[in-house]
Amino acid sequence: MAPSAKSAVVLCWDVGRTMSMALPGEESSFEQAKKVVLLFIQRQVFAESKDETALVLFGTDGTSNPLATSDQYQHIIVHRGLMIPDFDLLEDVHSGIKASDDQADFLDALIVCMDLLQKQTLGKKYEKLHIAVFTDLSSPFSSDQLDVIIDNMKRAGITLQFLESVEQLSIFKKIERKPMAWPCQLTIGSKITINIVAYKAITEEKIKKSWISVDAKTLRKEDVRRETVYCLNDDNETEVTMEDTIQGFRYGSDIIPFSQVDQEQMKYKTNGKCFSVLGFTKSVQVLRHYYVGRQVLKVFAAKDDEHAAVALSALIHSLEELEMVAIVRYVYDRRSNPQIGVAFPLIKDKYECLTYVQLPFMEDLRQFTFTSLKNNKKAAVSEEQLSAVDALIDSMNLVMDDGEELEDLFKVSKIPNPHFQRLFQCLQWKAFQPDDPLPPLDPHLKSMLDQPQEVADSSLASLEQLKKLFTLRDSGKKKEQKMAQQIFKNNDPEEQDAKRARSDDDFNIVSLAEGTVTAVGSLNPAKDFQALVQQKNVNFGEVTKQLMERVYQFLEVKNHQYYMKSLDCVKVCRKEAAKVGESQHFNTILKTLKENVEQKGCKISGS
Amino acid sequence: MSDWRAHYHNEDEEDQDEAEENEEDVKFTGRDSLIFLIDASESMFEVNSETEISPFDMTIQCVHKVYTSKIISSDRDLLAVVFFGTQKHKNSVDFKHVYVLHDLDSPGAKRVLELDRYQGEKGYKLFKEDLGHSWDGSLGDALWVCSNLFSDIRLKLSHKRIMLFTNNDNPHANDSSKARMARTKANDLRETGIILDLMHLWKSGGFDISLFYRDIVSLSEDEDVGMQLKESAKLDDLLRKVWAKDYKKRVVSRMNLNLGGGVELSVGVYNLIHSARRPAAIRLYRETNEPVKIKTRWFNGETGSLLLPSDTKKAQVYGQRQIVLEKEETEELRRFDNPSLVLIGFKPLSLLKKHHHIRPSQFIYPEEELIAGSTTLFRALLTKCLERNVCIICRYTPRRNTPPRFVAMVPQEEQLDSQGMQTMPSGFHLIFLPFADDIRKISFTGKVVADRDQIEKMKRVVQKLKFKYRPDSFENPVIQKHFRNLEALALDLKEPEEMEDLTLAKNDVIDGRIEQLAEEFTSLVYPPDYNPDAKGPQKRKLDESAGRAEKKAKVEVLVGEDEIRQHLRSGTLGKLTVPMLKEVCKQYGLKGSKKQELLDAITSYFSKH
Repeated sequence: MAPSAKSAVVLCWDVGRTMSMALPGEESSFEQAKKVVLLFIQRQVFAESKDETALVLFGTDGTSNPLATSDQYQHIIVHRGLMIPDFDLLEDVHSGIKASDDQADFLDALIVCMDLLQKQTLGKKYEKLHIAVFTDLSSPFSSDQLDVIIDNMKRAGITLQFLESVEQLSIFKKIERKPMAWPCQLTIGSKITINIVAYKAITEEKIKKSWISVDAKTLRKEDVRRETVYCLNDDNETEVTMEDTIQGFRYGSDIIPFSQVDQEQMKYKTNGKCFSVLGFTKSVQVLRHYYVGRQVLKVFAAKDDEHAAVALSALIHSLEELEMVAIVRYVYDRRSNPQIGVAFPLIKDKYECLTYVQLPFMEDLRQFTFTSLKNNKKAAVSEEQLSAVDALIDSMNLVMDDGEELEDLFKVSKIPNPHFQRLFQCLQWKAFQPDDPLPPLDPHLKSMLDQPQEVADSSLASLEQLKKLFTLRDSGKKKEQKMAQQIFKNNDPEEQDAKRARSDDDFNIVSLAEGTVTAVGSLNPAKDFQALVQQKNVNFGEVTKQLMERVYQFLEVKNHQYYMKSLDCVKVCRKEAAKVGESQHFNTILKTLKENVEQKGCKISGS
Repeated sequence: MSDWRAHYHNEDEEDQDEAEENEEDVKFTGRDSLIFLIDASESMFEVNSETEISPFDMTIQCVHKVYTSKIISSDRDLLAVVFFGTQKHKNSVDFKHVYVLHDLDSPGAKRVLELDRYQGEKGYKLFKEDLGHSWDGSLGDALWVCSNLFSDIRLKLSHKRIMLFTNNDNPHANDSSKARMARTKANDLRETGIILDLMHLWKSGGFDISLFYRDIVSLSEDEDVGMQLKESAKLDDLLRKVWAKDYKKRVVSRMNLNLGGGVELSVGVYNLIHSARRPAAIRLYRETNEPVKIKTRWFNGETGSLLLPSDTKKAQVYGQRQIVLEKEETEELRRFDNPSLVLIGFKPLSLLKKHHHIRPSQFIYPEEELIAGSTTLFRALLTKCLERNVCIICRYTPRRNTPPRFVAMVPQEEQLDSQGMQTMPSGFHLIFLPFADDIRKISFTGKVVADRDQIEKMKRVVQKLKFKYRPDSFENPVIQKHFRNLEALALDLKEPEEMEDLTLAKNDVIDGRIEQLAEEFTSLVYPPDYNPDAKGPQKRKLDESAGRAEKKAKVEVLVGEDEIRQHLRSGTLGKLTVPMLKEVCKQYGLKGSKKQELLDAITSYFSKH
């Protein structure tokens, strides 16, 4: 049996007072934390992960934990012990758990989590024990114990992580399958035999569950039945039974009856599993684009067979040194089709193995001929054009070279498959609000698939140059193109928020690129307002209302910067009102504002 | 082992996915058609002393190969064989010296047999008796008959091609009116979109294309004149030429490559490699051997009334909850971008990991039709990527309701063989990159490294068994066997044609080549009493059967109701093994075979009871 690969995670979530404070138009820490917790649990529930998760809340009104005494460990609730996450947990987080007005010492909460992990994992095996803390660290805590706690954690093998944003996806559980061993023998002729074991190392992971059809009214799958009927090719489409039919195959224009029994008997048969070397070839002869199949196997020596390990190592190193690869016949088992593939050496610090990938058969190749691009006079490229492409490559380099190490800015192998994330998001949404249309794509999910911001920024000039030097004329033949633009230019405010979040430092660039204003936002309300008023079809009263809502939000914050922002809004409002002959309207608004301000006792300092 | 099995069974499903994803649209393009127009005058039957085969024989063998391979790979294509320069004639307009052996139809077993009758020395004799030879034939007439064959077809033809096999470089040297007629007719063909290729064959003294044929044959934009110049003396050369001409590039899709900042060019996506499969069986009516239609109906289990697609929705069950979506929504949630390639940036080729493979690559080539000027920018990109050894990372959405994947666009320079034939076009290969989810964690045992002697010995073994790999070296034995079986049944052969399984290791050859090196190596790495078989799968099998007995005994310890409820509460039901779950299901009369089904059945039973 392979060792158990499950882990135990305690989500330690601050729901206390400071977490719910936020600037207007921005999410509170509580809301942000909720998003991450939801995403985390979502992925576990829908990926049907075997990992166990507990939820500890702190800063709660009440107290419920095993360590609590009358004055110790207060305002901490063990909401749920270690269990496989399920819908109930998802629902609790989604709508059950609310922010509170109290606060708790987060170090106390940590100790409760450690205690929980130690007690509830007793006698069971876990690969990993982990505490994930969601807090803004704004509540007071007694730091004197910090070192002791961290020390204890290390000793218990517990890892700790603080999470504040949705961007930190590293904690997300990948869809994981337990790799299964495939024992076999590698043979070179009849005289050299090495005991090996292979594992599927890379393969396109799919969702385990597929869609089933249910009756639209009853929503029961039992009500949907399928039947297959056979009918003759005559005018009446006369139905015949399955028993009246036999199996056949096409052979060109001929149709040959060929019973299943005969076919079984005559078909190609293998002698069962096999990993035999047919010969060796220079590795440059096996080009990357020849690879077929949908998996990569890693081949190790059989477990506990050190002689096999030495023999395999000799093969691995000789191939590496000669820059050669083995061409292999691979058969998974008696019932499967044989493959031809390549086995090449992979030598790492910690392990070495052969890596197997399938290669094509003659029948799979297509000898397409294309016009040579080299001698194509119609597509002559000038030196100037070439150097523009050079500049583009420089400006869009995804690899940073600091002289010693290469840093990859865009590691695809670290990105979780967005399809899964999107599916889980939609499933959860539909579970809680079955009648609503699907939610928009999660902004963070979308941004994960985009170019790194720094690359996008640095390439602007070279793209501009490209545009100048190359004539590209859209023939308008592709109908879909318009659709593409509509879909891709997403005016969803949430998404714009995400873009801003991604690049706090230079949101100016983003906002410039963003295009049309559709409502008065909180970021630059005065400017938005002006833009909107200039759009002819907009109702002045409505837009002013939006603007004033922002002003009232700002006043709530009671902070100098925001007062100034409010003032800007009022100024702009006055100016625009005069322009369109709505001064009367402005005066009314100002009067209401004055009353409100006096009521709340705001002091507008500096004015 | 369940996982491996699962893969084995999924294979078909995945293949179907792949097939659907990559299916080039034949429906809309129509059928491809090809006429083999074969010179049957006496000079074609002279044996080339070097290759010991006559040009005519070589042509028949070539057509035979094309027939059988069309049967395997594209049985919808229409083929015809027309001889000219015969004594007898057979054609719809009664032209002399033109004999239509096969009119345009998809090839079948009978046609293969008819063709084979004219092979070899015996075939030559038979041909002389049946059809005879004549020097009075007119190429113009022959082309006329061919064009009639095309126009007789009612189906929509996408691709019309005539391949002319001859070793006569000046057919109407003494008859200028016949020569002029041939030129005029060739011109007519060109204007109606029929392509005429010259497959010129060996002739003592060499074939001079400039004497007559230069004005006759079509040169598409794709071809350089240089590609046509050398005559074929060997069957392999001829076949390669025929294949290169015959393969029409079917585009999988056309889309824009978006570089950012509003700079877009258009490309076509192609599959240079496409897994050929054994075709699916069809059902025939027992009485007549005619294919029957298969219809699938959906109906309400209770009322028996037929269900339209709008009467059903889609659902998935998690835990005890069924989540329902509209059918359109299940497609909508797969939609991220419209079909496109979106540039992310550039990376050195050396960073592309050899073992990060998840599916076969595709190929892109510029497409002028959507965005004019694409070829120039494409070429500039290709030139610079080749020069700087970089690949392009792109987000790739192959079709509308398909979630994106990332690909590395790897530059490919054009390659030609010694005859000047293109063996690899210039463009970019699209190499699919794995997401984090696609990479599995594998526990490995410590590293044991062989010593210098052992490695050096193995190096000698490796070098003794060195060969030059070519992707076309291996035939698929499963497909070949299948079609040989069908052929035997179709042609009433006693035995299917012998097939050499090229995937099998030739142990006697290998043993002979490495001789005593094998023993020297094994004595260096294995102790004298080591027997890999004793440690290998055989022994394991014994262990397994013992283990199985033990397991069986274990299952008999039934899982009690309390225990099940406990598991349900903590969500750990999945920890029970499949036999245990089956036993539980049996107890409560529940059904299911896969683990997930068993789990779902038990969960829903206990939620109600």
